[in-house]
Amino acid sequence: MLIQSILLGLVAMLGNAEYLLGTCLLSRPMIMGLFTGIVMGNIEMGVKIGATMELAFMGAFSIGASIPPEMISGTVLGTAFAITTGSGAETALAIGLPVASLVLLAKNFGMVFILPPFVHKADEYASKDNMQGVALVHYLAGFFGVNLIIGLCVGIGYYMGSPAIEAFLSIIPEWISKGLEITMGLLPAIGFGLLMKMIMNKSNICFFILGFGLSVYLNLPGTGIAVFGAIIAIVLTQIKRSQQLQPAMNVEGGIDDDDDF
Amino acid sequence: MTTTSKKLERKQIMSVFWRSFGLEWDWNYERQMNIGYCYCMLPVIKKLYPDPAQQEAAMKRHLEFFNTTPQLATLILGITAAMEEQNANDPGFDTQSINDVKISLMGPLAGIGDSFIWGTLRIIATGVGLSLATQGNVLGPILFFLIFNIPAQGLRYYLMNAGYKLGSGFLAQLQKSGWMEMLTYGASVLGLIVIGGMTAQNVAINIPLVIGAGEEATTIGDICNQIMPGILPLLFTFAIYYVLKFKNVKTTTLLIVFILIGFIGAYFGILG
Repeated sequence: MLIQSILLGLVAMLGNAEYLLGTCLLSRPMIMGLFTGIVMGNIEMGVKIGATMELAFMGAFSIGASIPPEMISGTVLGTAFAITTGSGAETALAIGLPVASLVLLAKNFGMVFILPPFVHKADEYASKDNMQGVALVHYLAGFFGVNLIIGLCVGIGYYMGSPAIEAFLSIIPEWISKGLEITMGLLPAIGFGLLMKMIMNKSNICFFILGFGLSVYLNLPGTGIAVFGAIIAIVLTQIKRSQQLQPAMNVEGGIDDDDDF
Repeated sequence: MTTTSKKLERKQIMSVFWRSFGLEWDWNYERQMNIGYCYCMLPVIKKLYPDPAQQEAAMKRHLEFFNTTPQLATLILGITAAMEEQNANDPGFDTQSINDVKISLMGPLAGIGDSFIWGTLRIIATGVGLSLATQGNVLGPILFFLIFNIPAQGLRYYLMNAGYKLGSGFLAQLQKSGWMEMLTYGASVLGLIVIGGMTAQNVAINIPLVIGAGEEATTIGDICNQIMPGILPLLFTFAIYYVLKFKNVKTTTLLIVFILIGFIGAYFGILG
Protein backbone atom coordinates (compact mmCIF):
# COMPACT_ATOMS: atom_id res chain seq x y z
CA MET A 1 0.00 0.00 0.00
CA LEU A 2 2.70 2.47 1.01
CA ILE A 3 4.96 1.44 -1.85
CA GLN A 4 2.11 1.67 -4.32
CA SER A 5 1.28 5.14 -3.00
CA ILE A 6 4.84 6.27 -3.57
CA LEU A 7 4.98 4.71 -7.02
CA LEU A 8 1.69 6.34 -8.03
CA GLY A 9 3.03 9.68 -6.81
CA LEU A 10 6.08 9.18 -8.97
CA VAL A 11 3.93 8.26 -11.99
CA ALA A 12 2.05 11.53 -11.53
CA MET A 13 5.32 13.45 -11.29
CA LEU A 14 6.54 11.77 -14.45
CA GLY A 15 3.34 12.89 -16.15
CA ASN A 16 3.88 16.49 -15.11
CA ALA A 17 7.53 16.22 -16.14
CA GLU A 18 6.35 16.33 -19.75
CA TYR A 19 6.93 20.07 -19.35
CA LEU A 20 10.60 19.30 -18.87
CA LEU A 21 10.54 16.80 -21.73
CA GLY A 22 9.36 18.84 -24.66
CA THR A 23 5.64 18.94 -23.77
CA CYS A 24 5.52 15.40 -25.14
CA LEU A 25 2.00 14.56 -23.85
CA LEU A 26 3.14 12.15 -21.13
CA SER A 27 0.48 13.72 -18.93
CA ARG A 28 -2.41 12.64 -21.17
CA PRO A 29 -4.77 10.10 -19.58
CA MET A 30 -3.94 7.51 -22.24
CA ILE A 31 -0.31 7.42 -21.13
CA MET A 32 -1.00 7.91 -17.41
CA GLY A 33 -3.51 5.04 -17.55
CA LEU A 34 -0.83 2.76 -18.95
CA PHE A 35 1.69 3.65 -16.23
CA THR A 36 -0.92 3.37 -13.49
CA GLY A 37 -1.85 -0.04 -14.86
CA ILE A 38 1.77 -1.12 -14.66
CA VAL A 39 2.03 -0.01 -11.01
CA MET A 40 -1.28 -1.63 -10.08
CA GLY A 41 -0.44 -4.85 -11.90
CA ASN A 42 -3.25 -4.68 -14.45
CA ILE A 43 -1.98 -3.13 -17.65
CA GLU A 44 -4.96 -3.97 -19.82
CA MET A 45 -7.40 -2.37 -17.44
CA GLY A 46 -5.15 0.65 -16.98
CA VAL A 47 -5.01 1.25 -20.73
CA LYS A 48 -8.78 0.81 -21.10
CA ILE A 49 -9.62 3.23 -18.30
CA GLY A 50 -6.99 5.64 -19.58
CA ALA A 51 -8.74 5.64 -22.94
CA THR A 52 -12.10 6.45 -21.33
CA MET A 53 -10.53 9.24 -19.29
CA GLU A 54 -8.83 10.54 -22.44
CA LEU A 55 -12.23 10.96 -24.05
CA ALA A 56 -13.55 12.68 -20.93
CA PHE A 57 -10.63 15.10 -20.76
CA MET A 58 -10.32 15.52 -24.55
CA GLY A 59 -11.14 19.21 -24.51
CA ALA A 60 -8.90 19.92 -21.56
CA PHE A 61 -5.74 21.36 -22.91
CA SER A 62 -3.95 24.45 -21.85
CA ILE A 63 -3.74 26.97 -24.65
CA GLY A 64 -2.45 30.32 -23.54
CA ALA A 65 -3.34 31.02 -19.97
CA SER A 66 -6.27 28.69 -19.46
CA ILE A 67 -5.34 25.74 -17.29
CA PRO A 68 -7.33 22.52 -17.56
CA PRO A 69 -8.58 20.57 -14.53
CA GLU A 70 -5.68 18.66 -13.08
CA MET A 71 -6.17 15.57 -15.20
CA ILE A 72 -2.96 13.80 -14.15
CA SER A 73 -4.11 13.20 -10.59
CA GLY A 74 -7.66 12.54 -11.76
CA THR A 75 -6.51 9.82 -14.11
CA VAL A 76 -3.92 8.22 -11.86
CA LEU A 77 -6.09 8.06 -8.73
CA GLY A 78 -9.28 7.29 -10.62
CA THR A 79 -7.63 4.43 -12.48
CA ALA A 80 -5.87 3.11 -9.39
CA PHE A 81 -9.06 3.02 -7.28
CA ALA A 82 -11.02 1.46 -10.14
CA ILE A 83 -8.44 -1.33 -10.46
CA THR A 84 -8.29 -2.02 -6.70
CA THR A 85 -12.08 -2.20 -6.39
CA GLY A 86 -12.32 -4.19 -9.61
CA SER A 87 -14.86 -1.77 -11.05
CA GLY A 88 -14.82 -0.10 -14.43
CA ALA A 89 -14.20 3.22 -16.04
CA GLU A 90 -17.34 4.79 -14.54
CA THR A 91 -15.87 4.47 -11.06
CA ALA A 92 -12.60 5.91 -12.31
CA LEU A 93 -14.44 8.95 -13.68
CA ALA A 94 -16.62 9.33 -10.59
CA ILE A 95 -13.53 9.38 -8.39
CA GLY A 96 -11.26 11.09 -10.89
CA LEU A 97 -13.27 14.26 -11.41
CA PRO A 98 -13.51 15.39 -7.75
CA VAL A 99 -9.85 14.51 -7.28
CA ALA A 100 -8.98 16.57 -10.33
CA SER A 101 -10.71 19.61 -8.88
CA LEU A 102 -9.09 19.17 -5.47
CA VAL A 103 -5.62 18.86 -6.95
CA LEU A 104 -6.31 21.78 -9.25
CA LEU A 105 -6.86 23.79 -6.09
CA ALA A 106 -3.52 22.62 -4.69
CA LYS A 107 -1.85 23.38 -8.01
CA ASN A 108 -3.37 26.86 -8.08
CA PHE A 109 -1.99 27.37 -4.60
CA GLY A 110 1.47 26.65 -6.02
CA MET A 111 0.79 28.92 -9.00
CA VAL A 112 -0.05 31.83 -6.67
CA PHE A 113 2.19 31.29 -3.64
CA ILE A 114 5.22 29.32 -4.79
CA LEU A 115 5.97 30.01 -8.47
CA PRO A 116 5.84 33.83 -8.52
CA PRO A 117 8.48 34.26 -5.76
CA PHE A 118 10.76 32.01 -7.84
CA VAL A 119 10.14 34.24 -10.87
CA HIS A 120 11.24 37.24 -8.83
CA LYS A 121 14.23 35.30 -7.54
CA ALA A 122 15.30 34.75 -11.17
CA ASP A 123 15.12 38.52 -11.73
CA GLU A 124 17.30 39.03 -8.71
CA TYR A 125 19.92 36.52 -9.88
CA ALA A 126 19.94 38.07 -13.35
CA SER A 127 20.66 41.51 -11.92
CA LYS A 128 23.57 40.00 -9.98
CA ASP A 129 24.89 38.35 -13.15
CA ASN A 130 24.41 34.91 -11.63
CA MET A 131 23.81 32.45 -14.49
CA GLN A 132 23.91 29.35 -12.31
CA GLY A 133 21.36 31.01 -10.07
CA VAL A 134 18.92 31.50 -12.93
CA ALA A 135 19.45 27.91 -14.08
CA LEU A 136 18.87 26.62 -10.55
CA VAL A 137 15.70 28.67 -10.17
CA HIS A 138 14.45 27.21 -13.45
CA TYR A 139 14.66 23.66 -12.11
CA LEU A 140 13.53 24.38 -8.55
CA ALA A 141 10.56 26.54 -9.58
CA GLY A 142 8.94 23.86 -11.70
CA PHE A 143 9.73 21.14 -9.18
CA PHE A 144 8.43 22.83 -6.04
CA GLY A 145 5.82 25.02 -7.69
CA VAL A 146 3.95 22.28 -9.54
CA ASN A 147 5.60 18.89 -9.89
CA LEU A 148 6.05 17.93 -6.23
CA ILE A 149 2.59 19.22 -5.32
CA ILE A 150 0.95 16.89 -7.82
CA GLY A 151 3.09 13.96 -6.73
CA LEU A 152 2.29 14.50 -3.05
CA CYS A 153 -1.43 14.91 -3.71
CA VAL A 154 -1.58 11.66 -5.64
CA GLY A 155 0.59 9.69 -3.21
CA ILE A 156 -1.20 10.90 -0.09
CA GLY A 157 -4.57 10.72 -1.84
CA TYR A 158 -4.10 7.04 -2.67
CA TYR A 159 -2.90 6.28 0.83
CA MET A 160 -5.88 8.01 2.45
CA GLY A 161 -8.51 6.58 0.12
CA SER A 162 -11.23 8.24 -1.89
CA PRO A 163 -13.77 8.97 0.93
CA ALA A 164 -11.10 11.01 2.71
CA ILE A 165 -10.47 13.02 -0.45
CA GLU A 166 -14.12 13.88 -0.90
CA ALA A 167 -14.50 14.74 2.78
CA PHE A 168 -11.51 17.05 2.55
CA LEU A 169 -12.85 18.69 -0.59
CA SER A 170 -16.14 19.47 1.12
CA ILE A 171 -14.59 21.36 4.05
CA ILE A 172 -12.61 23.83 1.96
CA PRO A 173 -14.50 27.13 1.92
CA GLU A 174 -15.39 28.39 -1.52
CA TRP A 175 -13.69 31.75 -1.11
CA ILE A 176 -10.28 30.10 -1.02
CA SER A 177 -10.54 28.46 -4.43
CA LYS A 178 -12.37 31.48 -5.81
CA GLY A 179 -9.76 33.83 -4.40
CA LEU A 180 -6.94 31.91 -6.03
CA GLU A 181 -8.77 32.06 -9.35
CA ILE A 182 -9.21 35.81 -9.07
CA THR A 183 -5.51 36.28 -8.28
CA MET A 184 -4.55 34.14 -11.26
CA GLY A 185 -6.70 36.33 -13.47
CA LEU A 186 -4.80 39.41 -12.26
CA LEU A 187 -1.25 38.04 -12.42
CA PRO A 188 -0.77 38.31 -16.22
CA ALA A 189 -1.16 42.09 -15.85
CA ILE A 190 2.32 42.16 -14.27
CA GLY A 191 3.90 40.40 -17.25
CA PHE A 192 2.14 42.62 -19.78
CA GLY A 193 2.85 45.70 -17.67
CA LEU A 194 6.57 44.88 -17.77
CA LEU A 195 6.48 44.40 -21.54
CA MET A 196 4.64 47.68 -22.02
CA LYS A 197 7.14 49.42 -19.79
CA MET A 198 9.79 48.25 -22.20
CA ILE A 199 8.32 49.09 -25.60
CA MET A 200 5.41 51.45 -25.10
CA ASN A 201 5.57 55.24 -25.28
CA LYS A 202 3.13 58.06 -25.96
CA SER A 203 3.41 57.75 -29.73
CA ASN A 204 2.71 54.04 -29.99
CA ILE A 205 0.21 53.44 -27.19
CA CYS A 206 -2.54 53.46 -29.82
CA PHE A 207 -1.30 50.12 -31.17
CA PHE A 208 -1.81 48.49 -27.80
CA ILE A 209 -5.39 49.78 -27.71
CA LEU A 210 -5.86 48.59 -31.29
CA GLY A 211 -4.87 45.03 -30.37
CA PHE A 212 -7.12 45.14 -27.32
CA GLY A 213 -10.03 46.46 -29.38
CA LEU A 214 -9.59 43.84 -32.11
CA SER A 215 -9.94 41.22 -29.41
CA VAL A 216 -12.85 42.58 -27.37
CA TYR A 217 -14.98 44.07 -30.15
CA LEU A 218 -14.30 41.72 -33.05
CA ASN A 219 -13.47 38.66 -30.93
CA LEU A 220 -10.51 37.97 -33.18
CA PRO A 221 -8.28 35.10 -32.05
CA GLY A 222 -4.54 35.60 -31.62
CA THR A 223 -3.72 34.67 -35.21
CA GLY A 224 -6.28 37.09 -36.60
CA ILE A 225 -4.87 39.92 -34.52
CA ALA A 226 -1.38 39.00 -35.69
CA VAL A 227 -2.45 39.06 -39.37
CA PHE A 228 -3.98 42.53 -39.18
CA GLY A 229 -1.16 43.69 -36.95
CA ALA A 230 1.44 42.49 -39.43
CA ILE A 231 -0.28 44.32 -42.31
CA ILE A 232 -0.43 47.55 -40.33
CA ALA A 233 3.21 47.14 -39.30
CA ILE A 234 4.33 46.53 -42.88
CA VAL A 235 2.42 49.48 -44.31
CA LEU A 236 3.69 51.85 -41.62
CA THR A 237 7.24 50.61 -42.06
CA GLN A 238 7.07 51.24 -45.80
CA ILE A 239 5.75 54.75 -45.26
CA LYS A 240 8.47 55.44 -42.72
CA ARG A 241 11.11 54.02 -45.02
CA SER A 242 10.08 56.15 -47.99
CA GLN A 243 9.91 59.24 -45.78
CA GLN A 244 13.31 58.44 -44.46
CA LEU A 245 14.84 57.92 -47.90
CA GLN A 246 13.78 61.24 -49.40
CA PRO A 247 15.23 63.74 -46.94
CA ALA A 248 17.92 61.28 -45.98
CA MET A 249 19.67 61.92 -49.29
CA ASN A 250 21.46 64.83 -47.70
CA VAL A 251 21.21 63.85 -44.05
CA GLU A 252 23.16 60.59 -44.55
CA GLY A 253 22.08 57.61 -42.55
CA GLY A 254 19.02 59.42 -41.29
CA ILE A 255 18.54 58.25 -37.74
CA ASP A 256 15.25 59.93 -36.91
CA ASP A 257 13.96 57.31 -34.58
CA ASP A 258 11.08 58.72 -32.65
CA ASP A 259 9.79 61.26 -35.13
CA ASP A 260 6.25 60.60 -36.11
CA PHE A 261 4.47 61.44 -39.25
CA MET B 1 28.25 38.88 -43.07
CA THR B 2 29.98 41.61 -41.19
CA THR B 3 33.32 40.93 -39.60
CA THR B 4 32.23 38.58 -36.85
CA SER B 5 34.76 37.96 -34.19
CA LYS B 6 32.37 36.33 -31.74
CA LYS B 7 30.56 33.46 -33.30
CA LEU B 8 28.15 30.87 -31.94
CA GLU B 9 29.18 27.29 -32.55
CA ARG B 10 27.11 24.24 -33.26
CA LYS B 11 27.56 23.30 -29.60
CA GLN B 12 25.64 26.31 -28.31
CA ILE B 13 22.87 25.91 -30.85
CA MET B 14 22.39 22.27 -29.87
CA SER B 15 22.47 23.25 -26.23
CA VAL B 16 19.66 25.74 -26.79
CA PHE B 17 17.75 23.02 -28.63
CA TRP B 18 17.99 20.53 -25.75
CA ARG B 19 17.19 23.15 -23.16
CA SER B 20 14.08 24.14 -25.10
CA PHE B 21 12.45 20.87 -24.02
CA GLY B 22 11.95 22.43 -20.58
CA LEU B 23 10.40 25.69 -21.77
CA GLU B 24 7.11 25.07 -19.97
CA TRP B 25 8.61 23.55 -16.82
CA ASP B 26 8.04 26.68 -14.78
CA TRP B 27 5.21 28.21 -16.77
CA ASN B 28 3.76 30.91 -14.53
CA TYR B 29 0.88 33.31 -14.69
CA GLU B 30 3.04 36.37 -14.44
CA ARG B 31 5.36 35.94 -17.42
CA GLN B 32 4.57 32.42 -18.63
CA MET B 33 7.66 30.81 -20.25
CA ASN B 34 10.08 33.54 -19.19
CA ILE B 35 12.51 31.61 -16.98
CA GLY B 36 12.48 28.71 -19.41
CA TYR B 37 13.40 31.04 -22.27
CA CYS B 38 16.20 32.68 -20.32
CA TYR B 39 17.50 29.25 -19.35
CA CYS B 40 17.60 28.25 -23.03
CA MET B 41 19.58 31.36 -23.90
CA LEU B 42 22.21 30.98 -21.15
CA PRO B 43 24.76 29.09 -23.31
CA VAL B 44 24.44 31.78 -25.98
CA ILE B 45 24.88 34.57 -23.45
CA LYS B 46 27.84 32.84 -21.87
CA LYS B 47 29.56 32.35 -25.21
CA LEU B 48 28.99 35.83 -26.58
CA TYR B 49 29.40 38.21 -23.68
CA PRO B 50 32.53 38.25 -21.56
CA ASP B 51 31.40 41.41 -19.80
CA PRO B 52 29.20 40.87 -16.70
CA ALA B 53 27.13 43.97 -17.44
CA GLN B 54 26.29 42.63 -20.89
CA GLN B 55 25.44 39.21 -19.49
CA GLU B 56 23.16 40.81 -16.96
CA ALA B 57 21.37 42.88 -19.60
CA ALA B 58 20.93 39.85 -21.84
CA MET B 59 19.51 37.72 -19.02
CA LYS B 60 17.04 40.44 -18.07
CA ARG B 61 16.03 40.76 -21.71
CA HIS B 62 15.11 37.10 -21.85
CA LEU B 63 13.30 37.05 -18.51
CA GLU B 64 10.50 39.12 -20.00
CA PHE B 65 7.10 37.63 -20.83
CA PHE B 66 7.22 34.88 -23.41
CA ASN B 67 4.65 32.40 -24.63
CA THR B 68 4.19 30.43 -27.80
CA THR B 69 3.63 26.85 -28.93
CA PRO B 70 6.50 25.15 -27.07
CA GLN B 71 7.53 22.73 -29.82
CA LEU B 72 7.93 25.58 -32.32
CA ALA B 73 9.58 28.07 -29.98
CA THR B 74 12.99 27.04 -31.29
CA LEU B 75 12.34 29.19 -34.37
CA ILE B 76 12.28 32.29 -32.17
CA LEU B 77 15.12 30.98 -30.01
CA GLY B 78 17.24 30.53 -33.15
CA ILE B 79 16.46 34.01 -34.44
CA THR B 80 17.17 35.66 -31.11
CA ALA B 81 20.41 33.67 -30.74
CA ALA B 82 21.53 35.06 -34.11
CA MET B 83 20.50 38.56 -33.04
CA GLU B 84 22.47 38.26 -29.82
CA GLU B 85 25.42 37.20 -31.93
CA GLN B 86 25.14 40.33 -34.06
CA ASN B 87 24.72 42.44 -30.97
CA ALA B 88 27.92 41.03 -29.53
CA ASN B 89 29.84 42.07 -32.64
CA ASP B 90 28.18 45.37 -33.42
CA PRO B 91 28.25 48.04 -30.70
CA GLY B 92 25.65 50.04 -32.62
CA PHE B 93 23.09 47.25 -32.48
CA ASP B 94 19.78 48.21 -30.90
CA THR B 95 19.11 45.54 -28.27
CA GLN B 96 15.50 46.63 -28.07
CA SER B 97 15.05 45.03 -31.49
CA ILE B 98 15.71 41.60 -29.95
CA ASN B 99 12.71 41.86 -27.67
CA ASP B 100 10.61 43.54 -30.36
CA VAL B 101 11.24 40.64 -32.72
CA LYS B 102 10.56 38.11 -29.96
CA ILE B 103 7.25 39.66 -29.01
CA SER B 104 6.04 40.22 -32.54
CA LEU B 105 6.79 36.62 -33.55
CA MET B 106 5.39 34.74 -30.56
CA GLY B 107 1.75 35.59 -31.28
CA PRO B 108 1.64 34.58 -34.94
CA LEU B 109 3.74 31.47 -34.27
CA ALA B 110 1.39 30.42 -31.46
CA GLY B 111 -1.57 30.96 -33.76
CA ILE B 112 -0.21 28.64 -36.42
CA GLY B 113 1.46 26.30 -33.93
CA ASP B 114 -1.49 25.76 -31.60
CA SER B 115 -3.80 24.86 -34.43
CA PHE B 116 -1.26 22.54 -36.03
CA ILE B 117 0.29 20.92 -32.94
CA TRP B 118 -2.73 20.81 -30.62
CA GLY B 119 -5.56 21.03 -33.10
CA THR B 120 -4.32 18.66 -35.78
CA LEU B 121 -1.37 16.52 -34.76
CA ARG B 122 -2.63 15.76 -31.27
CA ILE B 123 -6.09 14.91 -32.54
CA ILE B 124 -4.73 12.52 -35.18
CA ALA B 125 -2.46 10.85 -32.60
CA THR B 126 -5.31 10.60 -30.09
CA GLY B 127 -7.65 9.13 -32.68
CA VAL B 128 -5.23 6.39 -33.70
CA GLY B 129 -4.20 5.69 -30.10
CA LEU B 130 -7.76 5.54 -28.77
CA SER B 131 -8.94 3.01 -31.35
CA LEU B 132 -6.45 0.51 -29.89
CA ALA B 133 -6.46 1.68 -26.26
CA THR B 134 -10.21 1.24 -25.81
CA GLN B 135 -9.61 -2.49 -26.33
CA GLY B 136 -6.90 -2.49 -23.71
CA ASN B 137 -4.11 -2.77 -26.29
CA VAL B 138 -0.79 -1.38 -25.03
CA LEU B 139 0.09 -0.31 -28.56
CA GLY B 140 -2.58 2.40 -28.24
CA PRO B 141 -0.71 4.69 -25.84
CA ILE B 142 2.62 3.86 -27.49
CA LEU B 143 1.42 4.79 -30.98
CA PHE B 144 -0.27 7.90 -29.57
CA PHE B 145 3.06 8.98 -28.11
CA LEU B 146 5.08 8.28 -31.24
CA ILE B 147 2.64 9.75 -33.78
CA PHE B 148 2.59 12.97 -31.83
CA ASN B 149 6.22 13.28 -30.87
CA ILE B 150 8.12 12.27 -33.99
CA PRO B 151 6.76 15.17 -36.09
CA ALA B 152 6.48 17.60 -33.16
CA GLN B 153 10.03 17.16 -31.86
CA GLY B 154 11.35 16.86 -35.43
CA LEU B 155 9.90 20.29 -36.12
CA ARG B 156 11.50 21.57 -32.93
CA TYR B 157 14.90 20.46 -34.26
CA TYR B 158 14.34 21.75 -37.79
CA LEU B 159 13.14 25.16 -36.61
CA MET B 160 16.10 25.58 -34.27
CA ASN B 161 18.50 25.48 -37.20
CA ALA B 162 16.17 27.32 -39.55
CA GLY B 163 15.70 30.09 -37.00
CA TYR B 164 19.39 30.58 -36.47
CA LYS B 165 20.10 30.58 -40.20
CA LEU B 166 17.27 33.00 -40.84
CA GLY B 167 18.52 35.22 -38.07
CA SER B 168 22.13 35.31 -39.14
CA GLY B 169 21.45 35.51 -42.89
CA PHE B 170 18.34 37.56 -43.40
CA LEU B 171 18.73 39.83 -40.39
CA ALA B 172 22.37 40.52 -41.19
CA GLN B 173 21.26 41.59 -44.66
CA LEU B 174 18.70 43.94 -43.14
CA GLN B 175 21.32 45.36 -40.84
CA LYS B 176 23.67 46.01 -43.72
CA SER B 177 21.10 47.63 -45.97
CA GLY B 178 19.81 49.91 -43.24
CA TRP B 179 16.49 48.14 -42.92
CA MET B 180 17.14 46.93 -39.39
CA GLU B 181 15.79 50.10 -37.88
CA MET B 182 12.65 49.66 -39.94
CA LEU B 183 12.30 46.07 -38.81
CA THR B 184 12.58 47.19 -35.20
CA TYR B 185 9.91 49.78 -35.76
CA GLY B 186 7.58 47.36 -37.52
CA ALA B 187 8.19 44.70 -34.90
CA SER B 188 7.35 47.09 -32.07
CA VAL B 189 4.08 48.06 -33.79
CA LEU B 190 3.10 44.44 -34.33
CA GLY B 191 4.36 43.52 -30.87
CA LEU B 192 2.19 46.09 -29.15
CA ILE B 193 -0.88 45.05 -31.14
CA VAL B 194 -0.25 41.45 -30.12
CA ILE B 195 0.28 42.43 -26.46
CA GLY B 196 -2.98 44.40 -26.56
CA GLY B 197 -4.83 41.34 -27.84
CA MET B 198 -3.20 39.06 -25.31
CA THR B 199 -4.05 41.43 -22.48
CA ALA B 200 -7.69 41.20 -23.49
CA GLN B 201 -7.52 37.41 -23.59
CA ASN B 202 -5.47 36.77 -20.45
CA VAL B 203 -6.17 39.40 -17.81
CA ALA B 204 -9.49 38.68 -16.13
CA ILE B 205 -11.46 40.78 -13.67
CA ASN B 206 -15.18 40.76 -13.07
CA ILE B 207 -17.35 42.52 -10.51
CA PRO B 208 -20.43 40.37 -10.00
CA LEU B 209 -22.00 42.74 -7.42
CA VAL B 210 -25.65 43.15 -8.27
CA ILE B 211 -27.23 46.57 -8.25
CA GLY B 212 -30.90 47.29 -8.71
CA ALA B 213 -33.64 44.78 -8.04
CA GLY B 214 -35.99 42.53 -9.98
CA GLU B 215 -35.90 42.98 -13.73
CA GLU B 216 -33.67 46.01 -13.45
CA ALA B 217 -31.00 44.02 -11.63
CA THR B 218 -27.63 44.04 -13.28
CA THR B 219 -24.06 43.54 -12.17
CA ILE B 220 -21.42 46.24 -12.02
CA GLY B 221 -19.28 44.09 -14.30
CA ASP B 222 -22.00 44.14 -16.96
CA ILE B 223 -22.35 47.88 -16.75
CA CYS B 224 -18.61 48.27 -17.20
CA ASN B 225 -18.67 45.96 -20.19
CA GLN B 226 -21.39 48.06 -21.76
CA ILE B 227 -19.09 51.06 -21.63
CA MET B 228 -16.41 48.99 -23.30
CA PRO B 229 -16.00 45.22 -23.27
CA GLY B 230 -13.03 44.31 -21.09
CA ILE B 231 -12.65 47.83 -19.74
CA LEU B 232 -11.82 46.52 -16.25
CA PRO B 233 -8.84 44.37 -17.35
CA LEU B 234 -7.72 47.21 -19.61
CA LEU B 235 -7.73 49.85 -16.88
CA PHE B 236 -6.20 47.42 -14.43
CA THR B 237 -3.34 46.59 -16.79
CA PHE B 238 -2.71 50.28 -17.42
CA ALA B 239 -2.64 50.87 -13.67
CA ILE B 240 -0.05 48.11 -13.24
CA TYR B 241 1.97 49.51 -16.14
CA TYR B 242 1.83 52.93 -14.50
CA VAL B 243 3.03 51.79 -11.07
CA LEU B 244 5.77 49.65 -12.63
CA LYS B 245 7.03 52.43 -14.85
CA PHE B 246 6.63 55.54 -12.73
CA LYS B 247 6.34 54.39 -9.12
CA ASN B 248 9.04 51.73 -9.17
CA VAL B 249 6.81 49.28 -7.33
CA LYS B 250 8.36 45.85 -6.97
CA THR B 251 6.69 42.90 -8.64
CA THR B 252 6.75 41.02 -5.32
CA THR B 253 4.72 43.80 -3.72
CA LEU B 254 2.22 43.57 -6.54
CA LEU B 255 1.96 39.82 -6.06
CA ILE B 256 1.10 40.21 -2.37
CA VAL B 257 -1.47 42.88 -3.18
CA PHE B 258 -3.01 40.62 -5.86
CA ILE B 259 -3.31 37.74 -3.40
CA LEU B 260 -5.06 39.99 -0.90
CA ILE B 261 -7.37 41.37 -3.58
CA GLY B 262 -8.21 37.81 -4.61
CA PHE B 263 -9.13 36.52 -1.15
CA ILE B 264 -10.87 39.67 0.05
CA GLY B 265 -12.72 40.03 -3.25
CA ALA B 266 -13.87 36.42 -3.12
CA TYR B 267 -14.80 36.50 0.57
CA PHE B 268 -17.09 39.50 0.19
CA GLY B 269 -18.23 38.54 -3.30
CA ILE B 270 -16.98 41.81 -4.76
CA LEU B 271 -14.87 40.12 -7.40
CA GLY B 272 -15.53 36.92 -9.25
